[in-house]
Amino acid sequence: MAKYKGITVNPAKFHRSQIKFYIILLPMIVLALLPLIYIISTAFKPIEELFIYPPAFFVKNPTMANFRKLFGAAENTAFPMSLYLFNSIIVTVAVVFLGCLISLMAAYALSKRKFKGRKTIFKANQLALMFVGSMLGIPRYLVINALGLTDTFWVNVIPLLIMPTGVFLIKQFIDDVPDSLIEAARIDGAGEFRILTRVVFPVIKPAMATVAILFFQSAWNSVEASNMYINTEGYKTFAYYMNVLSSAGNGVAGRGMAAAASLIVVVPNIVLFVIMQSRVMDTMARSGIK
Amino acid sequence: MKKQKKQTTLRTRDALSGLAFLSPWLIGLLVFTLIPIGYSLVMSISRVKFTVNGMELTILGAQWFEEIFTKDANFLPALLDTVEFIAFSTPMILVASVILALLLNKVTKGRGFFRALFFFPVVVISGPVMSKLIGNDATMLIQANDYGVYQIIGNLPGVIATPLQYIFDNVVLILWYSGVQILIILAGLQKINKPIYEAASIDGASGWQIFWKITFPHLKPMILLSGIYTVVDLAGMPSNALAKLVKNNLTRLDAPYSYSAAISWLYSLVELVLLGITFLLLKERKEKHDD
Repeated sequence: MAKYKGITVNPAKFHRSQIKFYIILLPMIVLALLPLIYIISTAFKPIEELFIYPPAFFVKNPTMANFRKLFGAAENTAFPMSLYLFNSIIVTVAVVFLGCLISLMAAYALSKRKFKGRKTIFKANQLALMFVGSMLGIPRYLVINALGLTDTFWVNVIPLLIMPTGVFLIKQFIDDVPDSLIEAARIDGAGEFRILTRVVFPVIKPAMATVAILFFQSAWNSVEASNMYINTEGYKTFAYYMNVLSSAGNGVAGRGMAAAASLIVVVPNIVLFVIMQSRVMDTMARSGIK
Repeated sequence: MKKQKKQTTLRTRDALSGLAFLSPWLIGLLVFTLIPIGYSLVMSISRVKFTVNGMELTILGAQWFEEIFTKDANFLPALLDTVEFIAFSTPMILVASVILALLLNKVTKGRGFFRALFFFPVVVISGPVMSKLIGNDATMLIQANDYGVYQIIGNLPGVIATPLQYIFDNVVLILWYSGVQILIILAGLQKINKPIYEAASIDGASGWQIFWKITFPHLKPMILLSGIYTVVDLAGMPSNALAKLVKNNLTRLDAPYSYSAAISWLYSLVELVLLGITFLLLKERKEKHDD
């Protein structure tokens, strides 16, 4: 029987034969992490090292100068950094929660409910998926203006809730959920919403986790709303603030500040992801829909 | 009679609950995406003028489209550049994600850790950070030409050498854009029943045969999904030559917005063709293996 160990697809235990896979995976991981290491290294570079060409990969004399410059610039702004941070946290939580809920509901309806126009709506979603983002800026601005959303706090949230990619991904996963499972829940007297949250959601958790991360990204990194729709400084977000600060220094020297700002913006992403990863990835591994 | 009535109400209930679930998102899609897309179509065939009262549109017809094809020296190179980028990168990202997903699926120690690391780039890549990295050419940091591999590739015939060179030039970028795809394919791998593998190995199938006869056909829908995701993802990158062209022309003095809108529409058509090709190549064949 030992012969079959080599081809088991979801092995439960470590076996010596797995070592070869680690050997291939390790260098890949190093490659995947290189740019991140580079940005960290750049953030700590003193100004002389930033001028070296071709740019050196690792920092030789790490310094906090870039961060000091960044925070120095922050002291000259009218509002404290914490305000922007607070805004961003509210926006991100709202976008992730509402965005996931709306997408899940829509994907469920598109996948499992039969009604007229279902296919057309899904095609419209695909059209939206394909359209060049930068072009939509102006017409979207006009719509937001017409709705009276300009210069409100919620304009940070509302346009981000619609993510065609999210609905598309979730729908493909719900398509695989057997109808009999939903049918069974219905016979047991579960309401539609209950079926969605208690039956469908647990089965497609991996897809939801992925989409949640995509929503988090789009909200946390969003500068569009702050740039285009909001005039009131107090409604603007952290990513916008960091962008403005880092553009204070330009040219080669600005690169160090930019790297420092990028690093600060990306740290919450990393922390959240590390906290979430064990849960997300574990459900990923076990959620086989049989 | 009674039975029929019950059926209709059931169907109506189905439709109603479906619409209720769909409506928040549908309204959002309509307002923030579809209406703007439609509006941009109108702009692409009109002259846009800014007056005190706002924007004024005069319908012109296909003038901008004509100009793109006959006068714009930047359009064709940008288009070719973008298509080449997508056409080269998509298959590589897909192959890389399938291989990585297969490998990740086989390790047990530190499984979570490994999976997290490959998904990590998706978390780190974000508008501002990524554009700065690409701006600094960080993705090309490993100077491949320093290594022996490069010389070996250089000696190969062009047909093989060009794509290989591309792979080595973009290896980091490929890994960075594979996170979501790896997850999708991993989820697909989990769904394949173990008994099929056992049966195959008892019948004496080799690992290679098992991959092509069992794993790959089962994964195909997931690969298609990843393929579509990849094409859309790559085409949406703001660093694309075409996307840049759209952006640069946004504020063109004699044709604000309208010229860009026309390019955007052409871009979307090209993307549609690319998606169509992806779909044709990866869709499931009719002769289905019995599960």
